[in-house]
Amino acid sequence: MNEDKLIELVKQVVSEMTSTQKSDNPVMLEAVPSDSEEYVPDLSQVDFRKVLDIPHPANREEYLRVKAKTEARLGVWRTGPRYRTNTLLRFLSDHAAAMDAVFSDVSEEMLEEMGLFSVSSRCSSKDEHLTRPDLGRQFSEETIARFKAKLKPKAKVQIMVGDGLSSAAIEANLRDIIPAISQGLKMYGLEVGNIPFVKNCRVPAMDVIGDELEPEVVCMLIGERPGLVTAESMSAYIAYKPTVGMPEARRIVISNIHDGGTPAVEAGAHIAELIKTMLEKKTSGIVMGD
Amino acid sequence: MKEELLSVGIDMGTSTTQLIFSKLHIENMASSFTVPRVVITDKEVVFRSDICFTPMLADNRIDAVKIKHFVEEQYQKAGINKEDIQTGAVIITGETARKENANEALLTLSGFAGDFVVATAGPDLESIISAKGAGAHTYSKEHSTTIVNIDIGGGTSNLAVFSSADLLDTGCLDIGGRLIRVDQKSHQITYIAPKIKKLIALKGLDLSLGQQVSPADLQPVVLEMVHLLEESVGIRPQSEFYPEIITNKGLKLEQKIACISFSGGVADYIYNEAEGDMFRYGDIGILLGRAIAASALFTQMTVVRSVETIRATVVGAGSHTTEISGSTITYTEKSFPLKNIPILKLALADEAGVDPQLLAAAISEKLDWFKLDNDMQRVAIAIEGKKSLSFPEVQRYARGLLQGMAELIEREYPLIVIVQHDMAKVLGQTLYALLNYEKDVVCIDGVLVDNGDYIDIGKPIADGKVLPVVVKTLVFN
Repeated sequence: MNEDKLIELVKQVVSEMTSTQKSDNPVMLEAVPSDSEEYVPDLSQVDFRKVLDIPHPANREEYLRVKAKTEARLGVWRTGPRYRTNTLLRFLSDHAAAMDAVFSDVSEEMLEEMGLFSVSSRCSSKDEHLTRPDLGRQFSEETIARFKAKLKPKAKVQIMVGDGLSSAAIEANLRDIIPAISQGLKMYGLEVGNIPFVKNCRVPAMDVIGDELEPEVVCMLIGERPGLVTAESMSAYIAYKPTVGMPEARRIVISNIHDGGTPAVEAGAHIAELIKTMLEKKTSGIVMGD
Repeated sequence: MKEELLSVGIDMGTSTTQLIFSKLHIENMASSFTVPRVVITDKEVVFRSDICFTPMLADNRIDAVKIKHFVEEQYQKAGINKEDIQTGAVIITGETARKENANEALLTLSGFAGDFVVATAGPDLESIISAKGAGAHTYSKEHSTTIVNIDIGGGTSNLAVFSSADLLDTGCLDIGGRLIRVDQKSHQITYIAPKIKKLIALKGLDLSLGQQVSPADLQPVVLEMVHLLEESVGIRPQSEFYPEIITNKGLKLEQKIACISFSGGVADYIYNEAEGDMFRYGDIGILLGRAIAASALFTQMTVVRSVETIRATVVGAGSHTTEISGSTITYTEKSFPLKNIPILKLALADEAGVDPQLLAAAISEKLDWFKLDNDMQRVAIAIEGKKSLSFPEVQRYARGLLQGMAELIEREYPLIVIVQHDMAKVLGQTLYALLNYEKDVVCIDGVLVDNGDYIDIGKPIADGKVLPVVVKTLVFN
């Protein structure tokens, strides 16, 4: 091969490469801002269950139908052996949202708006909350005195709220679930009294209320450990006459309360009925059956 | 928690009457950590009756007494008491539905069959029920495709199109196996249905009453009938006679249909070879079946074997009419079943922005349609709802509904609201609260209904978590 031929060959290869880059590859374009806006598009706003990144699927419709049924990140395609940039960025952004949900606090305005009074477990910081679950279920003498001053003893129902592992879950759901529960309970002739909010709270903190104030049913609304699917999932733990050290099987939990799971309003209506059933059967947990 | 519902299906068709019993298995599929999700997990046909010719009186009315005897006999054979039956449907199909005492026969039978057995008829519903019995909707879901099922009985061919289990369209043609009858011994033509007479005349065919015929003589008219079927599913241009052969409506054919399945008595001779006497049933059923198997319907479409043929409608009536509501619902009413309640479905625009005034105005205006002689009937209001909504939005929905339904509230009827999205429990509780707990409320979700539908709501099942419902797409009138 002489030099001229070599140069020609190189030219040809280079021109082929540049023309490939120019060709409109829809897969590449998605990750790039589509117009000249000032901001890059917010990846977390994309409903990835409706996006299929596989360039030439054999059956796009069916794949999307499968995707609609799961939160798993299917059909994200790849670059060589690695994730594509938008897959990785979305993963990082969801992870960051989960971290934020754990380490942020429920806002004072929210608690004020809902008329909750705020106390704290024995944990004095988020770090302690994460490393000392035993302290997250205990209260100081002063806090217990506050409970006794604020809450009605031997109430039929005592509702309480805890941040748990996601303040974002409380921020997202509390406004809708509390009025739904109250309305439902009222239908059964049950009153909701004052509601405490416990910062750095673990589920068994409700048992202390059971011991100290002897309500019949305690319902604890608490933020769930956030995942990559949602950071806003809340649970309701409900028990009949809970006491410190009781078996976990005496609690009933309604989990997955968030926009993509059970809507907060509908969950609230269901919880009200569950509380009524517990009061009728005078028991809770797995012995109640389903 | 597992529970069984015993369901009956009774089909009175142009040529045959039959019944089946099936068991619907019901189970709470949710884990103990979430709200309940009660679903029908399995449908199992536990008894298939004999098939009898639909008894007719001399004056061409249905012999209700004989049918009742037949049903009683089959109940005994199955060892089932009327009291044990929890749900089901009696359906009157094909030409039988057009007999003057059809409604009467239907009502006698439904009352006799059990408390929550619905009586129904109408070509649309028949198409849907038979296609479901034939397994077409399941096939379309499992293969994510579009399919048309043609249920070819004695008097009519009922078409239903499903795409991935969603019903797209229904249609009905006056084409069937008994529209020309031939004496089994003399091979003389004993009956030609009026529309077929017209078809024969139009095509200039040489066929008339009393004429002795061979299968070959009938082939031309049978082929014309097959052509009309090809036209009905869009693989042949529609002829001038096509509008004439339509019972009430044909398919809209807005998209290409990939697959086809057949049910009804004629289907047995579509899927299977026929040997021996072609006139053994005294009609053209076998000829029609064989002609379809040799037609473009088989070469231009993917043919799917149906799970039921002659029993598709009765299995559909027994196994596929009952649905269950969503699992978080509200009802304060005690006196179930509620039967034959017409649906008033709001347009999406009426719900836009959840404006109580807009909702109320739309409801009270549309409620006027349901007034008979200025008297308000019982009506169920159906709305779409919202996927994730706030508590204030629930309140606005409830206020709008109550204001719009004021005229209904004055009556003794319970307030019935059907919402598509998962919000019936909170909405029902809200309505009940706004009514000062003085007026009964039934608020269910997870059921798809539309204007023109009627709904029956049965006694609570699964510890009272859910209500069984039957949605009917057109009641006999």
